[in-house]
Amino acid sequence: MTVEKLKEAVRKILPEVDVVIGYRQGFDPLHATPFFMTKPEQVDQLIWNPLCVQNLCSYLPFLKGKVGVIVKGCDSRAIVQYMQEKLIARENVKVIGVPCLRVISVKKVMAAINQQSVQEVTFEGENILVKTPEGQKTIPLADVAPRKCATCQLATPLQYDLLAGDAIQSNKPQDTFEETKEFEKLPLKERRAYWEKEFDRCIRCYACRNVCPMCICQDKCIAESRDPHWTSQRANVTEKSMFHMIHGLHLAGRCISCEECERVCPMDIPVAKIKKKISMDLKELFNYEAGMNPDDTPPLYTFKIEEATIKEHEL
Amino acid sequence: MNSINNPYLPELATVIKIIDETHNIKSFQVVLNDPEKMKKFTFEPGQAGQLSLFGVGESTFVINSPPTRMEYLQFSVMKAGEVTSALHELAEGDQVGVRAPLGNWFPYEQMKGKKILFIGGGIGLAPLRTLILFMLDNRADYDDITIIYGARTPNDLCYKDELKEWEARSDLNLILTVDAEFPEWDKRVGLVPNVLKEIAPAPENTVAITCGPPIMIKFTLQALSALKFNDDQIITTLEKRMKCGIGICGRCNIGAMYVCKDGPVFSLTQLKELPAEL
Amino acid sequence: MAETGFLPKEKLPALLDALSKKFQVFAPVFEGDVVLFKRFASGVELCLTRPANLPPKGIIFPQSETLFNVNFKKDPEDLKKTSVELKENLDFAPTIIFGGRPCDAQGFRIYDRVYLETDIADPYYKGRREKTTIVTLACNAPSPGCFCTSVGRGPAENEGSDLMMTELEKGYFFEPITEKGKEILKEGGFEDGSAYKEQAQKAHEKVSALVKKPFATLEGTPEKLLSLFDNNQFWEGETAKCISCGACTYLCPTCYCFNITDEQAGNTGERIRSWDACMFSHFTLEASSHNPRQNKHQRLKNRVGHKFSYYPKKYKGVIACCGCGRCIRYCPVSVDISEIVAHAQGA
Repeated sequence: MTVEKLKEAVRKILPEVDVVIGYRQGFDPLHATPFFMTKPEQVDQLIWNPLCVQNLCSYLPFLKGKVGVIVKGCDSRAIVQYMQEKLIARENVKVIGVPCLRVISVKKVMAAINQQSVQEVTFEGENILVKTPEGQKTIPLADVAPRKCATCQLATPLQYDLLAGDAIQSNKPQDTFEETKEFEKLPLKERRAYWEKEFDRCIRCYACRNVCPMCICQDKCIAESRDPHWTSQRANVTEKSMFHMIHGLHLAGRCISCEECERVCPMDIPVAKIKKKISMDLKELFNYEAGMNPDDTPPLYTFKIEEATIKEHEL
Repeated sequence: MNSINNPYLPELATVIKIIDETHNIKSFQVVLNDPEKMKKFTFEPGQAGQLSLFGVGESTFVINSPPTRMEYLQFSVMKAGEVTSALHELAEGDQVGVRAPLGNWFPYEQMKGKKILFIGGGIGLAPLRTLILFMLDNRADYDDITIIYGARTPNDLCYKDELKEWEARSDLNLILTVDAEFPEWDKRVGLVPNVLKEIAPAPENTVAITCGPPIMIKFTLQALSALKFNDDQIITTLEKRMKCGIGICGRCNIGAMYVCKDGPVFSLTQLKELPAEL
Repeated sequence: MAETGFLPKEKLPALLDALSKKFQVFAPVFEGDVVLFKRFASGVELCLTRPANLPPKGIIFPQSETLFNVNFKKDPEDLKKTSVELKENLDFAPTIIFGGRPCDAQGFRIYDRVYLETDIADPYYKGRREKTTIVTLACNAPSPGCFCTSVGRGPAENEGSDLMMTELEKGYFFEPITEKGKEILKEGGFEDGSAYKEQAQKAHEKVSALVKKPFATLEGTPEKLLSLFDNNQFWEGETAKCISCGACTYLCPTCYCFNITDEQAGNTGERIRSWDACMFSHFTLEASSHNPRQNKHQRLKNRVGHKFSYYPKKYKGVIACCGCGRCIRYCPVSVDISEIVAHAQGA
């Protein structure tokens, strides 16, 4: 799959929609940035490589008219979840799927190059080559990919109207929530101390909330509301933890594990771990994974007096 | 320990009287608890204050009693959000906080000797009332005073008792209107900007002062310009969400101007120099 | 000519230990891969190699603080009557912000004009500011996205700092800018710095030349931005990718907007001042539900406008952006304020 194939797909779809959302080069060689294309000449600036990390689906529920969007496998689960929750009119969205085996984590690359300024980035085979004032470094992509890529089963997106390139299979192991299970073995006191230390850094910028494709009530978020009044403006770990608990629980059965929340945190708080724990619980309780099948109903959208897997009278 | 150098610390005050103006507007008359401070308190017509309900919050209201009548400070409050709803639950004797006076005021010095045209809608009469009473208390300084005041329904008219007094006065011309016909209403019917056009006051030596809902202000300004009023003959007082009230927290700005500090009173000349962000 | 000082690298921990006895010392430390200003304690690993993720603004302008406490007292003779007692806390301890960058110190100068140069100075800001000494570390390399030289600043710019330190091969060159800075030099361990002054200057010039320049000049930009105010197409285009979070605002050394909210529990309450962001949708939401900045393009236009147009208009052309680049580095979608300004210049 070359970027030329992608440009071709975008040019094909552009006349049918009001805008196509893709990626162009960002402020430095290590960053891509979302790119809203309305004119054919803009398509020349389109890029496609492992820098294209943002989940562009987050814009969809807020846009009117017909929209084209480029999605990777992980992103496509958002489209499916939107269809389950009726948050988009699928016929108004033209999905350009792109096969993807992994992206990079900017934070991991920066750590590998000692936080130097990046002068040039190229991709060669399974490596990323980064040039900094200290010299050139060749890093295997697998070493600097985000956590989600190691167990990704969706090398080809689940939803697309056009596939730019050939469908590919993922040969990666399934996610068995190893990290989550290991963490759960720690005593409660230790787990609490861990999270209090992490949340203490939180500045409640709400980057994690606003980037989340499933968080669509941002303007009326219960974490900020005065009626009902759940959190105050006090900048202490109690209030910060409360926000993260609310956020995690509101995503139960809805989180598609794109891990954008963790990517964007300016304070490097591993917020995706909480959502992973909740996703693991949902899988155990209801054998449910969000964003996989448009005909599914999220389990917390249904109500049964007796749930087969929750033995309330035994709790 | 109250510090006069802390502009965030309110003066404690007591509510001495509550008047039901309409179904959703109440007027609160408050007196500062410290009698010395109450005696020394001064302000100009048009200035505002932040009224605090401790534990709930603060909101900005124009002081709508005039500085010529200092037995109390009056604030008229429309029930709209968290703080105003809580204020509407107050009883006489309850404690509130006052941070006042804030902002600028009506340039009444420049209005002396001129004809004054007040155009108000709904609760927009609240800031105008301050200046109207101030002018009535200094009647000789001003030429003819005309008030065009309207509301959606007869029940939405504020200061009903005062309106009756003003109607009876021979030294001012009060024109009341409501938006549509009502059984017990025997006066004019029509939207305020339209009534203004019908009356067609002459702009010579006149200052027009208007306040009301944004849409009413918009059409009133258009009507005044059509009647050949110059921009500097037209004054309005604006509203914005406010917090500090002293031009620091960065919330109520229109371009480089803060409505809390550089306003709330603006002439149309000044407004036209600012970005269109009402 | 002010006295200057030189401190060998190995003597830095001892200096900070000595200062910690008289001041609250805040310095940039590692917490994983994140660099934060924390209270200095012996043995903690300092980070002087790159700017902190969060600027030190919270030391003088905390993310939340109690403006005053409220005590409610019911009258035992008449339980319907409640009296109120307010108690403000204006006690602040002597503080040193150590190892911030010139752009961080610049932020406080932006605040000073708003919080201090007004009818009644903000006593909370004033109290902390007066008791704080700012010891700044000149940059020896630009950071990703930064552009200080294009907004009238530089990697060794003095303004806002009390004492400027420059890293040289064997130690740090210290130059006092204010009386407060001179006080620090009276601590033990400093050698005479005059021999190192030229070296430091050369180092500054070298880095200055490396800083990226997204635009050649800002002359006429405040007016140009105002002229684009009603150009919705321009602003919608520039802001389409913004997600309206507050990361840029909270990480910005020059952003100073705040919220005031009350809390009450039983017979006590407090009025809290906390950081707020004009990027949030409810920032200008009025109780009537009218919102002058309903759309995100209006909000981002206000943020850019405030820094590059409204603040300069009020304060003799001073740009309220220090060019630190944090908003660009940490933005989830890499919105680039310098790019927006460059586009506006050419629009």
